[in-house]
Amino acid sequence: MDAVPAPVSALLRRPPLPGRRGALGSPALDTSALGTPATGTPAAVPRRAPETLHPALWLGHQLGRSAARAVASGFAALDAELPDGGWPRRVLSELLLPHPGVGEIRLLAPSLVAAQRAGRPVMIFDPPADLSAAALAGLGFDVEQLLVVNTRARVIPGSDSLWALEQALKSGHVGAVLSWLPPRLRSERLRRLQLAAHNHDGVAFVLRELAAAARPTASPLRLSLHAGGADRLRLSILKRRGPPLEAPLHLALPPVLSEAARRRAQSVLQPPARGLREVVFVNLA
Amino acid sequence: MLWIALHLPLLSLESFAATLAANGDESGAERPIALLEAHRIVSANAAALSLGVKPGLKRATALALAPQIVLGQADPNRDALTLLPVAHAALAFTPSVSLQPALQPGAAADTVLLEVQASLRYFGGLERLRRAIGAALGPLGHRVHTACAATAQGAAILSRVEPPPQCTDLAATRLALQAAPVWLLGPGREHWEALQGMGLRNLDDLLVLPRAGLARRFGEGLLVELDRAFGRRPDPREPIVLPASFEGRLELFARADTTEQVLQGAAVLLERLIAWLAAQHAFVRRFRLLMHHEARWQSDRTPQATALEIALAEPSRDSAHLLLLLREQLARLRLPAPTLELRLQAEDITRRAPPNVELFATSQSEHEGLTRLIERLQARLGPGQVQRLVALEDHRPERASALCEARAIDAGSAAGGRGGRRRQRSPAVAGAVEPQAPPSSTGLAARPVWLQAAEPLPERAARPLLDGRPLQLLSGPERIEAGWWDAGLTGRDYFIAATPEGALVWIYRERLPLSRSAHEEEGSASGWFLHGRFG
Repeated sequence: MDAVPAPVSALLRRPPLPGRRGALGSPALDTSALGTPATGTPAAVPRRAPETLHPALWLGHQLGRSAARAVASGFAALDAELPDGGWPRRVLSELLLPHPGVGEIRLLAPSLVAAQRAGRPVMIFDPPADLSAAALAGLGFDVEQLLVVNTRARVIPGSDSLWALEQALKSGHVGAVLSWLPPRLRSERLRRLQLAAHNHDGVAFVLRELAAAARPTASPLRLSLHAGGADRLRLSILKRRGPPLEAPLHLALPPVLSEAARRRAQSVLQPPARGLREVVFVNLA
Repeated sequence: MLWIALHLPLLSLESFAATLAANGDESGAERPIALLEAHRIVSANAAALSLGVKPGLKRATALALAPQIVLGQADPNRDALTLLPVAHAALAFTPSVSLQPALQPGAAADTVLLEVQASLRYFGGLERLRRAIGAALGPLGHRVHTACAATAQGAAILSRVEPPPQCTDLAATRLALQAAPVWLLGPGREHWEALQGMGLRNLDDLLVLPRAGLARRFGEGLLVELDRAFGRRPDPREPIVLPASFEGRLELFARADTTEQVLQGAAVLLERLIAWLAAQHAFVRRFRLLMHHEARWQSDRTPQATALEIALAEPSRDSAHLLLLLREQLARLRLPAPTLELRLQAEDITRRAPPNVELFATSQSEHEGLTRLIERLQARLGPGQVQRLVALEDHRPERASALCEARAIDAGSAAGGRGGRRRQRSPAVAGAVEPQAPPSSTGLAARPVWLQAAEPLPERAARPLLDGRPLQLLSGPERIEAGWWDAGLTGRDYFIAATPEGALVWIYRERLPLSRSAHEEEGSASGWFLHGRFG
């Protein structure tokens, strides 16, 4: 899962440029490809690949880039599939999950902990259940510095939670934001949050219900998370700046179970999955 | 000696307009406004003047000329209250600030005098000082005429001349004064007609006359003032003293029904508070807004006033921030009756060096920004809704962590440098679990991130069901038996189980028959409970 997907289709789509066959958009190869025509045939004007002109340009088969540095997610396989190689700053990253407890905190913990280590606060908005300090400390969090904002206690739900989140994003003084949005949120509300996130120099995650996948989103990154076996996470990238990712990623999360228990879980949980695959095979045949 | 005189030509109109601003009218500046005294117009703003309303007209005439005109009573007390913040703002630049008495007896003073010779070097010259004073007075929203002169009386006279001259030495002051009209002297106004009849127009004309004759005809006062203006007689001034606590009062022209109207009036008072704070280089820690209500009936039980107390985590002098906090607090408040009068009181202040202005964000500004953010969130959501997670030393998972109110100032300090981790202890357990280390990821059993209220699970074929599907037990049991020292005795066997998709949940089985029977009454026969999810 570490290679850029679909290089074959990418090559087919590319216009045939003389002398640039092997470049494939990688910067190191690109400069050497540019260098050779200049020495060999002086008349030929070297055509520069669009992606070398400006950091905001990229080709359709490449992963998007931006000027802002991304925050490493802590999972190499995921970083390879995310534009800029990590969670984007200054935008909302949307995570869709069926219910809390699929491994979302363990997925996000490395980037949030990194913000805390840098001395910046992490704010959590409307967690769906009580947080356990011991578990968070085990993931590396400085628990006492976590700020938990509960906005659903008010009489009129919805408006305050978005207001609070917008204030936090706009202020630019928060290192990382993790927020559970109210269900059935209108997309223009999310767009407003997305605009507020431009001031927020750090990662911002909004967690929503799976049904939101059917509706459009203003955020440039949208993932869906499912449990993929014990201590594993099945992650599909629904939207990113770059080509669509066909197959979901399987990430190994920091283990909760002991080695023996995990082996047992694999043996127990595997049969239904294999049976499903057989059915697919029969259908194809 | 160098004096700066701040003359507010439209003071009485502006002090009246401030009470109007609370009426929720955006076009307050364009509305014709005039002030009455004894049923005659005494002053009118530009909009009223353009409609033909002139001072001296009768009330009925003014209303006939401009039916939409807002007529208010001239009130010297209100004018004095409005001028005071200007003097307070000036106190930030020099300690010797005095009020120039009004020309007419009975009217409120409308000129503030500052002795600035000693402040010139600190503020970088007269021109910069004048600009700084102008910037400090800006938020109060007055039209100010500024004149400089070598004498206090001279500055007061010259500030009424159009355009006000700027004289830095005595010679220039005398020259400028010679051309000033004679009615600018206080006693000169009384004898204006007589002086005019004698062909005396400028102060220059008075100077050439024999002094004894002048004193006989127009009184000693005229000569005294003349000599003081020209610097021939000492002119001691009593500097104003800053009150120890702030009390701003604003009587609204019409009753305020909405919080927005209250807020507009409060904004005027806040600017005055900030002028008072600026005078002593202080920052406010808490202030109180009192809203006096209209008593609707005699027997009415509505309280006479509503008080709104605002405490700041970080002392501040930023009007925008204070107004924002006030807005959020007012939005939460339900006022029992329309408001007639606003009072703003502040005693609790702190003095410290003004914050440095930074080009780039530093940890200090970050700290302040975060403190303000939390303050804002708490103002709207309620102080208990912004919380901090605290790890407690208890083996029962539901008691091992607690949320406590995050104090804005603590949270702010977290941004600057990471504070040491302090573990709090639940008071009852202090002695009991001393030897055991707090649970951590290494060595001890894993804990789920999400804890929920125990949810009874049904059982089929000896396996607990979650959402109708069997759970697979993977790890356990881990027995947690604690709480015999308080009422919450628990004995549970915890298991980590997996749903068919592989999500891990934390379930337990009650061990003690006593508590088990209690749960069975609720309808769960299996004794399995879902307690957490591994996020």
